[in-house]
Amino acid sequence: MSSLSRTRAEFEAAWHSFIRRRTAVFFTFFFPVILIVIFGALVTTDPTGGGLFTEPSEYYLAGYLAVVVLFTPISRVGSTVARHREGNRFEKLATTPLRRTEWLLAHTLVNAVLVGIASAILIAVLWALTDATFTLSPLLVPFVLIGSAVFCGIGAILGRVADSQDGVIAAANTIALPMLFLAETFVPPDLLPGWMGPVIDLLPLTYFSRGVREVTVAGGPWTTDLAILSGLALAFFLTGAYALPETD
Amino acid sequence: MDNALVAEDLSRSYGDTTALDGVSLAVVRGEVFALIGPNGAGKTTLVRALTGTTTPDSGTVSVFGSPPDAVDENRIALLPQAFSPPERLTGRELLEYYAGLYDHSRPVEDVLSEIGMAADAEGWYETLSGGQQRRICVGSALVNDPDLLFLDEPTTGIDPAGRRDLRDLIADLADGGTTVFLTTHDMAEAEALADRVGLLADGRLVEVGSPEALVADHGGESRLVVETDAGTDAFADSGYRVSATSRTLTIHGIRPEKIGEAVAALERAGIEYESLSWTQPSLEDVYLELAGERGAEEPVLAGGAR
Repeated sequence: MSSLSRTRAEFEAAWHSFIRRRTAVFFTFFFPVILIVIFGALVTTDPTGGGLFTEPSEYYLAGYLAVVVLFTPISRVGSTVARHREGNRFEKLATTPLRRTEWLLAHTLVNAVLVGIASAILIAVLWALTDATFTLSPLLVPFVLIGSAVFCGIGAILGRVADSQDGVIAAANTIALPMLFLAETFVPPDLLPGWMGPVIDLLPLTYFSRGVREVTVAGGPWTTDLAILSGLALAFFLTGAYALPETD
Repeated sequence: MDNALVAEDLSRSYGDTTALDGVSLAVVRGEVFALIGPNGAGKTTLVRALTGTTTPDSGTVSVFGSPPDAVDENRIALLPQAFSPPERLTGRELLEYYAGLYDHSRPVEDVLSEIGMAADAEGWYETLSGGQQRRICVGSALVNDPDLLFLDEPTTGIDPAGRRDLRDLIADLADGGTTVFLTTHDMAEAEALADRVGLLADGRLVEVGSPEALVADHGGESRLVVETDAGTDAFADSGYRVSATSRTLTIHGIRPEKIGEAVAALERAGIEYESLSWTQPSLEDVYLELAGERGAEEPVLAGGAR
């Protein structure tokens, strides 16, 4: 049995486990719809130039995508790791030929598919409900997939560090929420203090939002952002795989 | 002897708690080895050390001549204690999932039949009864036809019929050459299945031997337990060795052919009793003796006849 076969077995088990949780499925895909309806359609810009969301609608596409790329993998993988620990599943898996990298790859693929579907819904809703004009670039695919891999790796690390599913969710929110608003998603960097520049540059999500904005709106260079995001994905993936527990 | 498993001087501590304290043992290929011991004795830690899922502070483990982390995983299988697989897969899907992780696996239908779940394999794991869930868990450890099978309390939560079926299954596996290392709180299970039994207490392997040898060496005497509130006075001159609690009178060292005489003596002494039962020493007596868990009172034995 090859590594591919083992990864496929883990992927299929993880996929079926997820799609049979109807509540989780509903909110995973309904979440982007709510997001666009509230922030893209209901919240309007003050005609005098003040208020929230003063940038053109398309500016926020990267932010909307960042929400699903960030939250879905980090919370799902983190809580999956916690659930596996509670059920002694890793102890069982440690005595099978399945490698930790294969396990995390399978779960990363599951999340990449989910995030991909959610992103497609999000883009469609944004296009339908707002006046946003953007390029539907195929480069969105690698950004979304690689971005998901980054946060799957971070989720695996959180699952190792936190001692319960509740702990994972709390930790994920604590990390993800500030990152979401600091990583050039919804808040333009010139609205933040200058000294935060280096902090922003340290956030993985920054390279996702910059790159996505370049390929969908600005039309500028995106290769550096994708390269950095890929490097971070590899680093967090390997660290996350190494962090997966076997028993205690 | 061709050993499947050798552990030498294993020690493992968690903070101030010593889980294993110099444990050494060897399990011969094809043998069924049962590890018994009280809660917290270190049984699960020993299983984890043997399977390589925890690293001992000191000591060595050899599985088929290799360290646990170097052994071919296709040759071993583990059912962890309190194991809970993905709950929204069906029984069949779970076995197919675990089978998919190995280079070679057995037909899932065969495993389902062996564990008595062929007719109930389409229900989600979370909808199965506790006993059915445990059967699926046991099945997950059989899909790769392992040479060495670790079962950490495999029959916990299974009804008597299910226990019997699983005992038969484990016995069949052993007959087929599979080495089985199991932990259990069920002394009857250990006695029925194991070629040898090890008693672990406070992290130390107190005794190892065949069930028969352990019972002969540590089980004590056969005894007749009479449920009565009479004291020992009535039996003072009977020639029997007798002890009493507030609820029972125990006549020690009595052979089965002498039970009638003892009953007659009870009636001559005018002792009224609710029930009486005769027991041979068992592995449970060995456990209670060696684990230091025998209470101050004699246990009231069940199954008495009026």
